[in-house]
Amino acid sequence: MLCKIAELITEVPMAGGMALRCRDYLYDGDATADIVIREDAYDPEKHPGIFSADQLAYMESGRQFHSRLLEHNGLYLHASAVVKDGKAFLFSGRSGAGKSTHTSLWQQELGEDVVVINDDKPALRCLDGVWYAYGTPWCGKDGINRNMKAPLAGICFLKQAKHNQIRRLSAQEALQRLLGQTIWKVYEVKYLDLLMARMDELITNIPVFELENRPEAAAAQLSYTTMRRTAEEMGL
Amino acid sequence: MKVKGNYALRQVAKTWVVMPLGQATLDLDGILTLNETGALLWKTLEQGGDREAMIRALTGEYDVSPERAGADVDRFLGKLADAGVLEE
Repeated sequence: MLCKIAELITEVPMAGGMALRCRDYLYDGDATADIVIREDAYDPEKHPGIFSADQLAYMESGRQFHSRLLEHNGLYLHASAVVKDGKAFLFSGRSGAGKSTHTSLWQQELGEDVVVINDDKPALRCLDGVWYAYGTPWCGKDGINRNMKAPLAGICFLKQAKHNQIRRLSAQEALQRLLGQTIWKVYEVKYLDLLMARMDELITNIPVFELENRPEAAAAQLSYTTMRRTAEEMGL
Repeated sequence: MKVKGNYALRQVAKTWVVMPLGQATLDLDGILTLNETGALLWKTLEQGGDREAMIRALTGEYDVSPERAGADVDRFLGKLADAGVLEE
């Protein structure tokens, strides 16, 4: 099954429910595949505690796609991605940090034009010096995704707290947090060097924040106001 | 004293990071970051150097006393032990 995901022609095996997940990404042109996901390379041992064939297909096709994304000026981030006024804002953090909750608050508070393009694993690519966020079929348990792209305006790591406070992270802090939420268990040195190159470009060009927050409207207003202002200052 | 598993030291965004390769794991949230001194000590360790060799590497590269270097090496080794990357 040929799909176009993050502007890359990708062959995805249909097995394990992937045909349904990919239905908005089908490609019927005649270009050859940039990325071929191989069902015979699905490796259950990389996912201890996985259980059904569908889950394995979802996890392993995603792992292959996201690894290969590194060869196409891209990387993936464990994040919920929203688009507002044509710009993408990513909210990341470990599971349970409140990513989906925060992007739902954006939708409630910041107007009907706020779109969640991927609620779990958006793809990022740098094309001609501009970073874009893309919806992908790998979107977590809620299945929230849209096949669209938008220029990336900022990334914010979420942390639950009893107050709302946002700050810009240093390059070192940003790197540490970003690496914690992407594919960092790489199996080949080749991918490691690609990952490092992408991280360097990302941190140099995109502002990264940390938001300590309560799950409430004021937190969404704070992250939006701060991230939009910084993006404007940086010409993003 | 030996590093457990397979790691690679890389520099990105002016920061040194130790990345686990393959099945190696860190007991941290992802990765281990090091400053210039830490990177020098890691390289020494990777080449099979012991505590004494690491102290020599520091005093050779920087204007520090062996006592001060020893304290730095111990702090570095403590950090690695916390991250679970040392054998023994």
